[in-house]
Amino acid sequence: MNDKTNSKEYLLDVLQERAKELNCLYRIDEILNDEALSLPEIFYHVITALPEGFRFPEICRARIVYKDETYESEGYIPSEISEKADIKVEDSVVGFVEAIYTREVQRIDDDFFLSKERQLLRTIAYRIGQTIMYREMKQRAHKWNVPASSDEARTAANPEWKIITDLLLRTDPDMAMHVCRRMINHLSGKGVRGGTGNTDIFSPGPLRQFLTGEVNAPGEKVSVNEMTHIVEETFSHASEHMSETEISALIQRWIQEEKASSLIKAVDRIDASIGEIVEAITRYHNLMGESDQSSFRSERWLEVALIRRFLTDNLDFIRIARPFLKIDDFYDIASRLIYPSGSHGKIGGKATGIFIAQKIINRMKEKNPLLESVRVPKAWYITTDEIKEFLQYNNLQELNEQKYKELEEVRINYPQIIQLLKNSRFPPELVKSLAMALDDFGQNPLIVRSSSILEDQVGAAFSGKYKSLFLGNQGTKKQRLEAVMDAITEIYASMYSPDSVQYRAERGMLDFHEEMGIIIQEVVGRRIGPYFMPLYAGVAFSNNEFRWSPRISREDGLVRMVMGLGTRAVDRLNDDFPILISPGQPTLRVNTMPEEVKRYSPKRIDLLNLENNSFESVDISGFLKHYGPLVPGLPDIVSVYRGDYIHRTSIMDIDFHQDDLVVTFEGVAAKTGFVKTIKTMLEVLRENMQTPVDIEFAFDGRHLYLLQCRSQSSREESAPGPIPRDIDKKDIVFSARKHISNGIVSDISHVVYVDPEGYNELRSLDDLAAVGRVVSKINAVLPKRCFILMGPGRWGSRGDIKLGVQVSYADINNCSAIIEIAKRKSNYVPELSFGTHFFQDLVEANIRYLPLYPDDEGIVFKNVFFSRSKNMLPQLLPEYGWLSNVIKVIDVPDSTNGKVLQISMNAEIGEAIGFLTQSSGERSVPVSEILAGKKIERHEDIRFDDKFWQWRSYMAECIAERLDPSRFGVKNAYLTGSVNSGTAGPGSDIDMIFHFTGDQDQKKELELWLEGWSMALAEINYLKTGYSSEGLLDAHIITDEDVANKTSYAYKIGAVTDPATPLRVFGKKNRN
Amino acid sequence: MEKSYNPYENAQAQFDAVAQLINLDEGTRDLLRQPLREYHVLIPVHMDDGSTKVFKGFRIQHNDARGPAKGGIRFHPHETADTVRALSMWMTWKCALVDIPLGGGKGGVICDPHHLSEAEQERLCRGWVRQLSKVMGPALDVPAPDVMTSAKHMLWMLDEFETVHGGRYPGFITGKPVGMGGSLGRTEATGYGVIYILRQALKDLGIKIEDATVCFQGFGNVAQYAGRLFTELGGTVLAVSCWDNNAHQAFTFRKKDGIDVNKLAAITSAYGTVDREKAQADGIEVLPGEEWISQEVDVLVPSALENQITPANADKIGKSVKVIAEGANGPTTPDADEIIKERGIFLIPDFLTNSGGVTCSYFEQVQSNTNFFWEKDEVLEKLDSKLTHAYRSLYSLAGRKNLYMRDAAYVIAINRVVDAVRMRGWVR
Repeated sequence: MNDKTNSKEYLLDVLQERAKELNCLYRIDEILNDEALSLPEIFYHVITALPEGFRFPEICRARIVYKDETYESEGYIPSEISEKADIKVEDSVVGFVEAIYTREVQRIDDDFFLSKERQLLRTIAYRIGQTIMYREMKQRAHKWNVPASSDEARTAANPEWKIITDLLLRTDPDMAMHVCRRMINHLSGKGVRGGTGNTDIFSPGPLRQFLTGEVNAPGEKVSVNEMTHIVEETFSHASEHMSETEISALIQRWIQEEKASSLIKAVDRIDASIGEIVEAITRYHNLMGESDQSSFRSERWLEVALIRRFLTDNLDFIRIARPFLKIDDFYDIASRLIYPSGSHGKIGGKATGIFIAQKIINRMKEKNPLLESVRVPKAWYITTDEIKEFLQYNNLQELNEQKYKELEEVRINYPQIIQLLKNSRFPPELVKSLAMALDDFGQNPLIVRSSSILEDQVGAAFSGKYKSLFLGNQGTKKQRLEAVMDAITEIYASMYSPDSVQYRAERGMLDFHEEMGIIIQEVVGRRIGPYFMPLYAGVAFSNNEFRWSPRISREDGLVRMVMGLGTRAVDRLNDDFPILISPGQPTLRVNTMPEEVKRYSPKRIDLLNLENNSFESVDISGFLKHYGPLVPGLPDIVSVYRGDYIHRTSIMDIDFHQDDLVVTFEGVAAKTGFVKTIKTMLEVLRENMQTPVDIEFAFDGRHLYLLQCRSQSSREESAPGPIPRDIDKKDIVFSARKHISNGIVSDISHVVYVDPEGYNELRSLDDLAAVGRVVSKINAVLPKRCFILMGPGRWGSRGDIKLGVQVSYADINNCSAIIEIAKRKSNYVPELSFGTHFFQDLVEANIRYLPLYPDDEGIVFKNVFFSRSKNMLPQLLPEYGWLSNVIKVIDVPDSTNGKVLQISMNAEIGEAIGFLTQSSGERSVPVSEILAGKKIERHEDIRFDDKFWQWRSYMAECIAERLDPSRFGVKNAYLTGSVNSGTAGPGSDIDMIFHFTGDQDQKKELELWLEGWSMALAEINYLKTGYSSEGLLDAHIITDEDVANKTSYAYKIGAVTDPATPLRVFGKKNRN
Repeated sequence: MEKSYNPYENAQAQFDAVAQLINLDEGTRDLLRQPLREYHVLIPVHMDDGSTKVFKGFRIQHNDARGPAKGGIRFHPHETADTVRALSMWMTWKCALVDIPLGGGKGGVICDPHHLSEAEQERLCRGWVRQLSKVMGPALDVPAPDVMTSAKHMLWMLDEFETVHGGRYPGFITGKPVGMGGSLGRTEATGYGVIYILRQALKDLGIKIEDATVCFQGFGNVAQYAGRLFTELGGTVLAVSCWDNNAHQAFTFRKKDGIDVNKLAAITSAYGTVDREKAQADGIEVLPGEEWISQEVDVLVPSALENQITPANADKIGKSVKVIAEGANGPTTPDADEIIKERGIFLIPDFLTNSGGVTCSYFEQVQSNTNFFWEKDEVLEKLDSKLTHAYRSLYSLAGRKNLYMRDAAYVIAINRVVDAVRMRGWVR
């Protein structure tokens, strides 16, 4: 079929009509072949099934008149719009079949019925005639051969193969010829040759046409007699050599195999487009109908070929997925696939993940009844190459070059690209397909997600780089269609966003041919007031990388869940908290005290407002006041905080206006099968996908839905840190083997170490409290996320201060890891806190936690490193110098000849190691090279990368160079702050100190001049990073007096830590 | 270990200093500088996984000469007998200072409830009570919630006690929810208590409450209720400082003509972070966090954390400050006390200022024992009169003997206990 000339919609229409016809035919065949039915029963079934083959089944009725008896389907009325076909038995008319429409329908080619429908009716009439004839013959045979058994009777008059071949010749001559040819081959293979008239089968002639023609192609009238002759001769010849059952079995097998053959043909062709394969799968699906497919042994290569065409080329994935996929499963995709003509695209990573997860769960439902209630929302897919078609249609191919441009340029262009794409036109076929999808979805809210080829592949998380957009999907069809198209363009545009270009550049993926598929999924949920939302949703992980108790093991998994849309559980928000449950240990909760439970409960809820068609985040307390009574099962979701007690209550007991409602999911965990279902789901998926998984789920009040599934290791934050075996022993600072999770903390430039013995020797409460204060102060001054805290016992302990440094989360929030040291005391090892005092804060800020047991056998703990390294504390905080034997602040590069500390934690092998290594930042690499895709190995965001520091430092030098000392009255200029220390982030200011000796006018002029720089630098920074600010230059003007007294910023000049760097002041006009 | 900080030694040293001051005899000193009774028990608990874990528990009754021992029960993984001893001693002094007829006790279990399921915690609570049910009770020793224990634990313990003794004894434990033997007014008690006492202090200093201005450090439960009552009485809340959870730093909020506490509370998140933009829109200035101490107000109420007034910032205390009412526990370091004394600022010690809580616990016990529960107004009225009375006796002693208020508080409390043990004839 040439789908390049046919519009896709037309093709789909035709296919659908065709499918209906075939279904109808096969249904009627089944009825006619059912020997248990009497003729009148057969007629009743036929008139019920017949309307299904017509365009408008709901207003189509049928009637059969046979030998003066009339059989009518319910609601039959005589109608003008009617079509009849005569029923003939042995060439005499015995009645007719009639199809009518009860009211006028749309005409096609000036006719109420399609020519196909007329033909269908004729075929049915013919087959009814055949059936009547067979029944009569059977009766006659029965009468005449009473002594013979009925089987023999049939063999004599009508052997089974005869019935089958007759039927085939009438209904599907191609199949008849195919079976016949296979029989000839079979016979010759068995060495049976000769026989009268067989040779002409191989000769060219009219038969050729049938052997190569299409199934169900018209033309059965051409030479029925001739074909009948060949077939009969072949099979009678066969019956001489084989038993009847043998022949029947062979015919049946060949028919089945032939049914799949068109699919095989399509898939086998490398150049076959997705359209052709979709058509083949659709036909296959219709042919197989509801029949038991398990009896049909499909070939492995066919399944693999289909996986490659629709899903992925990844070999590992194919190996995992194949056992769960049957050919007909692809019909799920094929029936909801949108693709350009000639497409060779796939459905992309995200869609593939959920598709295979769905198949695994369905397959495992038998063994795990809990999974019975799990659903996957309806989805439509747009192939990954539709974007190419879209760009071509709008002549936008130049966008392909976009990713190779400088990041600044990418950023400048991006808003234009969004507008450009938003104003582009969609290819009409795509519009039609989307319209069809919308009809299928109705007015259910939708989520349009990217499903690119790179996305969700192992090693590339891409989370949040490409967009997912929620649509209310309300309003007229036109409005809804426009909204969907708008969302699609936005997702297409996100491929060109600076973030995703940068991300790909950093991972050396720019040259990978990225294509963007799209999955349009129904949003799971229900309407509550003006809102649409799932009752709850979230993410779940096979491996728990944030364990709050030593009793929880990694395999116990982790669920992060919230009320409403799961967006708040997927992202880390820092100012709001999801509920954490470990499905393997559901009774061990992070928060046990009522105030903790309340403090770390979700405070906001994401939902879709259907009235204004928008995505909203609202306050949970306000939401519950208004709509709480409408939420089914609310008492399972929220508890009431009343008088230091978290009450699980009934709906009757909740006062929605007075009560303090806290989302706890206590009821969900205790009363519903939710936790067990999630646990089973994680286990089943982990086992069968052969990797720990990361899933998204939602519950709409009736069913639990699986929304997404991917390999957990693709999340960078939970990737196991490599434990290098070739490290020089002297570079290992500490090691650990207990309660290890995954993660890497790299480029640690400072260690804040609270010496367990020193701390223990402190005599007064004040002294102990002072340690906490010092930590807090250090936390504020050290470069963010570049230092770790190490100390005895329990950080943040509220109880006995002796047992751990008393700090709150705010006192430690800038560190990158917190390490608790359990040093043996007399004969017991203190129990560590696992960070429980601010556990959820740590999780949301991605601060890692590691417990150390230095006294355990085989564990390295290098006391020398901590005792011998230079302690910065006395210089950093001179007023606390007296604590310097308790608190050590170690500048790692300074104490180790430029090395930094790295902590690698690997839960797979249960080991963690802290070792000295070269900094991963390569300071000498020019900015442009970094942007052009130099691989930078950082485990978390690139916020503290060199590139921010480098150009800022360069610009500061430029400013100083061009600063005319006599014009502005400036004596000296200095660089200080984060740029000076090399820790600048994307939003950092450039801090400069100007030693000013001029008059007021000069000062004004200087300030004006600097303001100009500041604004220009802010703009440059925006282009580079996307951080916008009013100005980037933070100029501190100091006077002679300041310098003399070391007041104001003058204290930075020649300071012990982080002294300001003097810059050369020239007053150059130009660089040369 | 000997060299390190030991809360018990600290508490004993504190007692010894006062004993010296009031010239206490050897026998009484020996009796009061250590607990009367100590119980150390083992509590076997069946864990959810089928194993059995044995926990160590304590109950220490420091002194019950003035009435049944009263004190919390702590769940802490590093609980030590010495910590519990020290805390039980402080409870004795605290109850005596407010002049409620209770002694001092404290209990604990070495455990971390974060690593226990709820069912395991329940079995632990019940196990603790079974071990100690003979030596505790409404007439002997009354526990209450403390570190890492809550109303939920109290009810399990109460239920176990009642099962052992075969009856209903709501007065066995305090900290119960309202309707289950709890008292109304507990939420307000500590904050209101601060103001009941401050009102008396202002009267003594000749400051009209209508003219008085106050600055709170912290804007939690205590400061919010205190601020409300202070405003109702006609005073002005000039400034409030509190932690901003998003900015990770504290801010001071100031409004010259007075902050509307209810309005400010309405724009404070559940984490206690004030919405700065909304505050500014309401005409409130936003200043750096540390400036709370230098506000030109009549009264400072540090009601956030410990060790907030130190020698490092005591010299920054606003020139106009006449009173410091310690709303939090231990907000002033001992060396800062010296500076405050020199400045002649009137200090109301935490001991008294935040005793609204323990007084309300006593009321809960009284109501439970009579099985008759008062309206909130009645609770607050009685609280007012109890605290006013306690303050008056403290103030008059301090005046008569020319003592710093903090020292006077210890003197009055220890004296009352000394009286009781003498009158009972335990010592002569």
